[in-house]
Amino acid sequence: MKKILKTKLPELWQKISTDFDLFLPIEKNKTLNFSLWKDGEKVNLDKVRTTTSSKHLVFPQTETYLKFKNQNNKLSLKAVKAIGDEYVIFGVRPCDVKSFKLLDNIFLREPVDTYYREHRDRGTIISLACTNPEDTCFCSSFGIDASSAPLGADVAAWDVGDSYIWKPQSEKGQKLMDSTKELFTDIDEKDIQNLEKEKSNIQEKLEDLPFNNIDLSKIKGTQQEIFDKEEIWNEFSERCLACGTCSYLCPTCHCYDLQDYKGNNHGEKFRCWDSCMSSDFTLMAHGNPRTTQMQRLRQRFMHKLVYYPKNHKGDYSCVGCGRCVDRCPVHIDIVKIIKKLGGENNEL
Amino acid sequence: MENITKKIRAVAKQALIDKEVDKILGWKKGDLWSDSYPVFITKPEDTDTLIWDLFCINNLSKFLIKELTKHDKIGIFIKGCDSTSFNQLLKDNRINRDDVVLYGIPCEGMVDPEKVKKIMLNERVREIKKHENNFTLISKNKNIDVSGEEIKYDKCITCISPNPVVYDQLLSDEVENSKHSGDRFKRIEEIEAMSPDQRYNFWKGEFQRCIRCNACRDICPACSCVKCVFDNEDAEVSGKAKTEGEDTFFHLVRAYHVAGRCVDCGECARVCPAGIPLDLLNRKIIKDINEVYGEFNAGMDSTTPAPLVTFKLEDTDTFSKKGGK
Amino acid sequence: MSLDTNTNVVNKNEEFKPLIVAFCCNWCSYAGADLAGTSRLKYPANIKIIRVPCSCRVNINFVLRAFQNGADGVVIAGCHPGDCHYSTGNYHTRRRFSLITNLTEYIGVEKERFKVDWISAAEGNKFATVMNDILEDVYKLGPNKKLRDARWKI
Repeated sequence: MKKILKTKLPELWQKISTDFDLFLPIEKNKTLNFSLWKDGEKVNLDKVRTTTSSKHLVFPQTETYLKFKNQNNKLSLKAVKAIGDEYVIFGVRPCDVKSFKLLDNIFLREPVDTYYREHRDRGTIISLACTNPEDTCFCSSFGIDASSAPLGADVAAWDVGDSYIWKPQSEKGQKLMDSTKELFTDIDEKDIQNLEKEKSNIQEKLEDLPFNNIDLSKIKGTQQEIFDKEEIWNEFSERCLACGTCSYLCPTCHCYDLQDYKGNNHGEKFRCWDSCMSSDFTLMAHGNPRTTQMQRLRQRFMHKLVYYPKNHKGDYSCVGCGRCVDRCPVHIDIVKIIKKLGGENNEL
Repeated sequence: MENITKKIRAVAKQALIDKEVDKILGWKKGDLWSDSYPVFITKPEDTDTLIWDLFCINNLSKFLIKELTKHDKIGIFIKGCDSTSFNQLLKDNRINRDDVVLYGIPCEGMVDPEKVKKIMLNERVREIKKHENNFTLISKNKNIDVSGEEIKYDKCITCISPNPVVYDQLLSDEVENSKHSGDRFKRIEEIEAMSPDQRYNFWKGEFQRCIRCNACRDICPACSCVKCVFDNEDAEVSGKAKTEGEDTFFHLVRAYHVAGRCVDCGECARVCPAGIPLDLLNRKIIKDINEVYGEFNAGMDSTTPAPLVTFKLEDTDTFSKKGGK
Repeated sequence: MSLDTNTNVVNKNEEFKPLIVAFCCNWCSYAGADLAGTSRLKYPANIKIIRVPCSCRVNINFVLRAFQNGADGVVIAGCHPGDCHYSTGNYHTRRRFSLITNLTEYIGVEKERFKVDWISAAEGNKFATVMNDILEDVYKLGPNKKLRDARWKI
């Protein structure tokens, strides 16, 4: 473990960005997003949650696979490589770190999604513990500890007042720290104390959060029984606008659509994010298997809370980042659904 | 506010008991201070959960399209901007006036949770109290007094119709018009004053953040097509790729499709998760209509034809040197 | 992120041949183009004419797609107000495109790149003038980069 003074951060960004693409939470207008750092950008590491998640780094919103063109009535095809350089991303919160693992479950199982793997291999992830969790955070419900060093982060970091403590957790992380070691200093006894203090401080705040009491194990019933609770699904879907805000902000939503771009004598095949909320989701020649918004909304939450854990050793496809809770235009959110499915009566 | 809540509950309960309406559309409180959301009620005993507070921002009138296919008569609570969109839906023949009972609520503007969070950065807000003209933001550790302008939605600060323009019953006294309603084209003028390249870069920077969630379209009370052209696979309009051209295409087509029908409720900008000021597109069109074809605010009544479905022989235009024939 | 300004492009790139897409009403401007041709009036070959049944058939999608897919300038030409084959079509064009020309200008497309004009079947001369004018204006501005879809050309 080493530490770096906050005043030295600009130097560190400069140094890292000579070798890597550096992604940091950057503030633009009213939003905070992981964007490519350039000198002069406004980095904000104090706000816990970025507007969109960090998944676009490994799963871009649009990604071209294939280019094709017609040459003298012969079709020529050209595979396109995954675009991007080696990158470092700093400030990923423990919930978002976990989301990478959940995406891995999907994209890295056989047959491996090579585009995803390339994006994944190129990245060095540096987590940052959540000094100030927000009201809508509920990561502890998914066994995520916002104060600790999360599994899957190459380096774990903590904010201890005037400096950050960095702890390498992988070869990649060690290498990154070695290459920037002149900016770091060794830690002493007092820093260790500060770190422990920060951890317990976070713990204390987490316990005070309004959604701290969510317990997914309380969701009772078989898959079919939950599926059949139409009264609940109807109640929520009534006001659902069918926009894709929840899916596109979600760090774990991973559905995509394959589309063609048609040029004159040429074209491209690309994939782009898709949302189960939209009417053309899984549209097939015969029509759509889910014809009502109730079915589509049910699909989203059944996937997150029932199907995914069934297929992936009990891991839910939600990390409690709270983005959908914060941004749903009509306040349908996974917390309300979990509570309702768990039979709590204080809601609705 | 508490008084209006009481009235809402009483009115809703009575209407359901008397079977005057089959369903009530109102707002309800969730677990968090900022969480007031739309709720649809059919049982009289459930009306006790209805509320009216500083966060009842959701416009309920668009839900009528769907709900009226299931129910004969619906009671709905509407603010000023909701009432103009209601008129617009009537004008577009999406709903029938006789099927709806309107309970109007004059509105002094809603509070933007994002602005509150910014002022109370990393403080857990517990409550917001309204006094005469000011507000107190209350958290565990501190209280801050702020003015309405500091925490209300921008769109509410420049609101042009705080009082419902159509209703069957008004639940409180009318409120004064906003002092700043004359400022609503200020930002537009600033953008117009830029050079073409500056303007393009401004919008490019904004549209770049678009994630194509379609929330702006789906919340819009004027976007009431049965099947949106962007959902129509056969129309080849929905370029789903995230490219500069497609982003701009989507936003311009969206804004133009509601030209002359947009009631300037600003919901598109409110719900945008990427914080794109989409209302600046719609408001530009409103400004142009006002300047070229005379003052027109959509939704002020349900009969005047919208500027783009009508014309005058002596119209001028903006593109020819002479200004038209 | 900022866009290269288009100044001096003309000098740097002598080869620049603006591509203009002209949506022409079947009943007037399209015939006007014919007349310009038969009268041996000169107007450049890089104007691509798309025949439409009425100028009000054109909507904002057409214009934006043209800019996305390679157009440096767009013209919409219809009958003079009062002369519409369908009585009122071009009155609607006038209102719509008053707003749309302003809107495209508002998001940064130069006003010179997008024009609406009235050209009757008898105005072969005017057709040639309008096309030559926009060509000259667009030539001065240089190639259009705004709204352009990088995928339109291989």
